[in-house]
Amino acid sequence: MEPQPHILVVDDDREIRDLLSKFLERQGMRVAAARDAKEARRLWPLGRYHLVVLDLMLPGESGLDFAKWLRSQGDVPIVMLTAMADETDRIVGLELGADDYLSKPFNPRELLARVRAVLRRASGEAGAPKEPPAKAVRFGGWTLEPARRRLLNPDGAEVPLTGGEYELLQVLVERPNRVLTRDMLMDLLRGRQAGPFDRAIDVAVSRLRRKLEDDGRNPSLIKTVRGGGYVLAATVERS
Amino acid sequence: MKSWRVWPQSLAGRTALVLLLALTAVQAAGLTIHALDRVDLQRFAQAREISARAISAWRTVNLAPADRRAQMLAELELPQGLDATLDGRPIARLDQPPIPPPIARMLRLDLLGSGPPRFRPREVLTSWGERSPVFFVSLRLPSGEWLNLRISLPPPRPWHSETFLIAFFAMTLAAGLLINWAVRRLTRPVRLLAEAAERLGRDVNAPPMPERGPTEVAKAAHAFNTMAERIRRFVGDRTQMLAAIGHDLRTPITRLRLRAEFMDDDEQRRKMLADLDEMEAMVAATLAFARDDSAGEPTVALDLAALCRTVLDEAADARPDLADAIGYKGPERLVVQARPVALKRALANLVGNALLYGGAARLVLTAPEAPGGEPVRLAVEDEGPGIPVDQLEAVFQPFRRLEASRNRETGGTGLGLPIARNIFRAHGGDVVLRNREAGGLVALATLPG
Repeated sequence: MEPQPHILVVDDDREIRDLLSKFLERQGMRVAAARDAKEARRLWPLGRYHLVVLDLMLPGESGLDFAKWLRSQGDVPIVMLTAMADETDRIVGLELGADDYLSKPFNPRELLARVRAVLRRASGEAGAPKEPPAKAVRFGGWTLEPARRRLLNPDGAEVPLTGGEYELLQVLVERPNRVLTRDMLMDLLRGRQAGPFDRAIDVAVSRLRRKLEDDGRNPSLIKTVRGGGYVLAATVERS
Repeated sequence: MKSWRVWPQSLAGRTALVLLLALTAVQAAGLTIHALDRVDLQRFAQAREISARAISAWRTVNLAPADRRAQMLAELELPQGLDATLDGRPIARLDQPPIPPPIARMLRLDLLGSGPPRFRPREVLTSWGERSPVFFVSLRLPSGEWLNLRISLPPPRPWHSETFLIAFFAMTLAAGLLINWAVRRLTRPVRLLAEAAERLGRDVNAPPMPERGPTEVAKAAHAFNTMAERIRRFVGDRTQMLAAIGHDLRTPITRLRLRAEFMDDDEQRRKMLADLDEMEAMVAATLAFARDDSAGEPTVALDLAALCRTVLDEAADARPDLADAIGYKGPERLVVQARPVALKRALANLVGNALLYGGAARLVLTAPEAPGGEPVRLAVEDEGPGIPVDQLEAVFQPFRRLEASRNRETGGTGLGLPIARNIFRAHGGDVVLRNREAGGLVALATLPG
């Protein structure tokens, strides 16, 4: 990772733009800010950005259209800011390939954590061609739909998950048949989850097993590895 | 115990009953008149027959030689209702009233005395018999013997006529069916109006009523649609206003959150962020209430048991101190048709309230024993003080909070319960509050199974 990540903030509210820039700069990032898609396009060739924080509600060209344009320009990670509880925008945004989203009014620290997590993931996968976002991920009869953040059981019924359970399942599903130690899981999940992680991971795993109808004493899907780790024992199919 | 009601509850039933009773009365009267008429005619014919035979009997007896009279009389064929005997004494008794003139006329007794003098009876005595429909006529022969006629006219009994009964029942049945059909058809608009009003009560955006049919019905439907439109506009305006306020507040809250990050005083910043969290919760609740998010969300198959555990787990994560007072009892899995995001919000509101005001949240999920029919039952119990009985319904009013909780410690937006109820009702269920006998409050929710 470069020592100073370069972030492009696109938001139509001047105050938020300025405050957010200042806030991110104080966290050791370089920030450029644009008030709409037009200005952002003008700024785009002027710097090499590591991440774009994009408000979906923009005057003129919509944030979604700009996100599409960004996707055509390369694989820069996008963190979207959406109107509160605007499901459709969020789903469309995530299906377009936004890496994460936050709904307004967001918590700045939460945004910082998400930005860092996305940057970490992006740098980890640097060089590797970015996979197009999967619409559905199937494993052991279950289906995970990342854009809708939901899990469907083998009969197609939605099985609700807590935020922590979902994040954990996503991390496991992205790395099937690979042993993930608690430390690795904590690292992968950091910034996505609040609270004491060590116990939280064990709790989340046991809750997840219960929801996946995985017998806790003799699990077949999420197996416990001696020495403190977990592995998703399943073939994962993306579509 | 179920008592049978004579007076029906429904307008159609009442109208049909009144019409049917009136029709039955008219039918009975009409058919009686008709039957009486026929009976009259029959009796008239019968009387004619009797009088003709009586006269012929008299003539036979009168003309026959004295020694053959009895034999010839016996050989005569007499109709039913007429008996003739030759006796030494008259059977008509003078102490009884004579045959009344109308019947005498009907029997044409006057004809006996109108023949040539040698055919006329020497004496004619008439009287009622012991029983009224029986009459006696005694005619004295020149020889001094008496021809005794016993005439019995059957009384008119229109009700015993088979044709009368069959006609009566057939006509009543046919008319009854017709009335039933017509009344149902005529009162259908009233039922449709009631159903439309019911739908409007549940969903302001219910489709309008068709303005068809008879003038009065079309007018009523039009008036109803106009009223619904006005209500819709009123609700729409209010909703839009609330949504606009909620929407516009998001930008300043975001700015304040960012500004708070630049504050040096940690204590003040923590408090400010807490205030902002509270504001955001209020805005979110107001928006959810105003926009009725659930309306736009598709209904899908959903594991309700997993949803309950998810809501409880999230509540336990947010309040680790109360984790022991949070529990789930119910099936491991229970698939229902529902809107996941909306239903989760409704459950989270009930669980949140239980924790906030009752210090515990024990959720009991009960699946119906047989699929279909019985609803899924959901109970969220707490261990708080409960609320006064007269407030159990009032707390479902938007922005209504109990005075005791109207402080910043237990605050709340006053929208949690109304939102939850809106969502359950939009699913075809409902939610009510009850004080538990063991103490504490329980929120009882139902969902169609």
